[in-house]
Amino acid sequence: MSTNSVLKNSSQQSPNSALPCAIEFNSKPTLAKLHLDFSLAFDSFTIEVKQSLSISAIIGIYGDSGSGKSTLLRVVAGLEQRAMGQVSLNDTQLQNSADNAFIKPEKRHIGLVFQDSRLFPHLSVYQNLAYGAKRQKNRQLTIEKVLSLTHLSEMQHQNVTQLSGGEKQRVSIARALLAEPELLLLDEPFSALDKTTKSQMLTILKDIQQQLQLPMLYVSHSLSELQYIADQLIVVNHGQISTAKTIHQAIHDLNSQGESSPKTSLSLTVAEHLPAYGLTRLALPTAQSPEQSIYLPILEQQKSQHLIGQQLPCIIYARDISISTTKEEHSSIVNHLPATITAIQYSKTNALVTLDIGLQQFYAQISLWSAKRMALVTQASVYLQFKANAVHSYHFTEPTINA
Amino acid sequence: MTDISSDILALTTTLKMAAITTVILLLLGTPLAWYLAKWQSRLKVFFEAIVALPIVLPPTVLGFYLLLAFSPTSLPGQIWQSATGNQLAFSFSAIVIGSVLYSLPFVVQPLQKAFEQLGDQHLEAAAMLGAGPIDRFFSIVLPLTKASFVTATALGFAHTVGEFGIVLMIGGNIPGETRVLSIALFDHVEAFNYANAHWLSAGLLMSSLLLLSWVYFLGNNFNKKQHRSISP
Repeated sequence: MSTNSVLKNSSQQSPNSALPCAIEFNSKPTLAKLHLDFSLAFDSFTIEVKQSLSISAIIGIYGDSGSGKSTLLRVVAGLEQRAMGQVSLNDTQLQNSADNAFIKPEKRHIGLVFQDSRLFPHLSVYQNLAYGAKRQKNRQLTIEKVLSLTHLSEMQHQNVTQLSGGEKQRVSIARALLAEPELLLLDEPFSALDKTTKSQMLTILKDIQQQLQLPMLYVSHSLSELQYIADQLIVVNHGQISTAKTIHQAIHDLNSQGESSPKTSLSLTVAEHLPAYGLTRLALPTAQSPEQSIYLPILEQQKSQHLIGQQLPCIIYARDISISTTKEEHSSIVNHLPATITAIQYSKTNALVTLDIGLQQFYAQISLWSAKRMALVTQASVYLQFKANAVHSYHFTEPTINA
Repeated sequence: MTDISSDILALTTTLKMAAITTVILLLLGTPLAWYLAKWQSRLKVFFEAIVALPIVLPPTVLGFYLLLAFSPTSLPGQIWQSATGNQLAFSFSAIVIGSVLYSLPFVVQPLQKAFEQLGDQHLEAAAMLGAGPIDRFFSIVLPLTKASFVTATALGFAHTVGEFGIVLMIGGNIPGETRVLSIALFDHVEAFNYANAHWLSAGLLMSSLLLLSWVYFLGNNFNKKQHRSISP
């Protein structure tokens, strides 16, 4: 707000002098326009992509292994010269097979973080970071700044071969950031890490994205990981890619397409911490009253005001939500919410019930027997219920990162 | 000329030939090994076989064909003569060219194996950080394959010092020009000059043994380091 008004004022006073200066200071790309129109044949399948993406934060790319999602990144990076068609970034043509145009990966200003980190074993942490920085003109980031962004300052002189998996990936990200790309590609960067380390990494990466305003494409086969990190999602299936949708919509669309573990995806606002009860209360996106709240195990014991007001991406698996026709007063289950059934989808083994609370959709997976016994129909008013620890979020709560 | 001074002359000729040959081999062999390591074609095995030929072929076979090619009546010999003004056969240049061909597999094979093992992973990472092909070679490939470069250099050098058949065929026996240690040794034996033959033989044996021990020592050390750094 304040920078906006400063900009506006200065442009009114002297449109030619002050404004370019301000723009130059903020010249880091905050939006990447990626145009893809290519095909690439493999033995078993052909990847065909025709899509324009406006990447402002992090777009997730989801698909099973072998679906072609990593190849998609490699084409954008310039590591698949065989691709036929066109690729352009921010109106710069990167390749065009029609006139044999091909910009080499080292000239594309695109960063790529590999699943297997690929650190240079003969160089220290600091030297790995300097490798990208040295080859970059017009640097805006300092190595020290990136070391602190990635919590690596204390291990900068270590040999990279002695690092843990999470530390290696932090070095890999730091190294890519220092090459100052216009777009950062991440190919399953945290898939080899345990859940706690993965949470740390995702929290750090999200923080980096917000601080540097760097557009990213993030490939993963884990929807919950993507749900935490990305604001939009593309689904790759046998080389075909879907259009980008908002993350919650994309995940809900997958439910009705027979996703093996259907889930509710939503962003909740942290309302209050209740240390006496060990719970944190979060408000539904369109909450009118405190009743439209979801409780989950308390997020922060100390510094408990830290997260208040923040949006937290959460996942509740449909198998963890049950339905009741009356309000349960004598249950240990914490979350009871009045809802309206909007759809029931029967499969061979169970029923997937879609419920609305205001504008928010929820999904509950119940047995065919329960659906029949309770005589559930659309438009029926019911209660949905789930335990506090059925609410999953990758948010990492420890304020410090252990080395 | 005394035997000692002629043997010393043969030694310097040998070292000069081996040093020049090794430099040429590294300059030619490195890109050749690189292309063989990266090339994916069915023709590749044919070229690998050509490079490996000197290992199995009697040196005299190679020497015979080179002698024909280097003679002033054949095209390569004529081109050389018109470019330099000197005859190619029985010259120092001839034995260097012959040595390059003869020792080629000993330089190309270890380098090719090292480049294949290195793979593309680190090179792709370096490219994504803005390093061009030459930059990648010196900043990534060379430091990560230096053990193989030491091996290739030492084997190329030692094998060139030890050659006999090719030099005999295309070099003749001109002191200071093409008379190398192995030929000097042969001369001593033919003249029943066993004392000098012993000196030369033992000298060659010991120096080769020392050189190879040093190479394996370095290779072991590099491997240990490499192993530590590659294992996760």
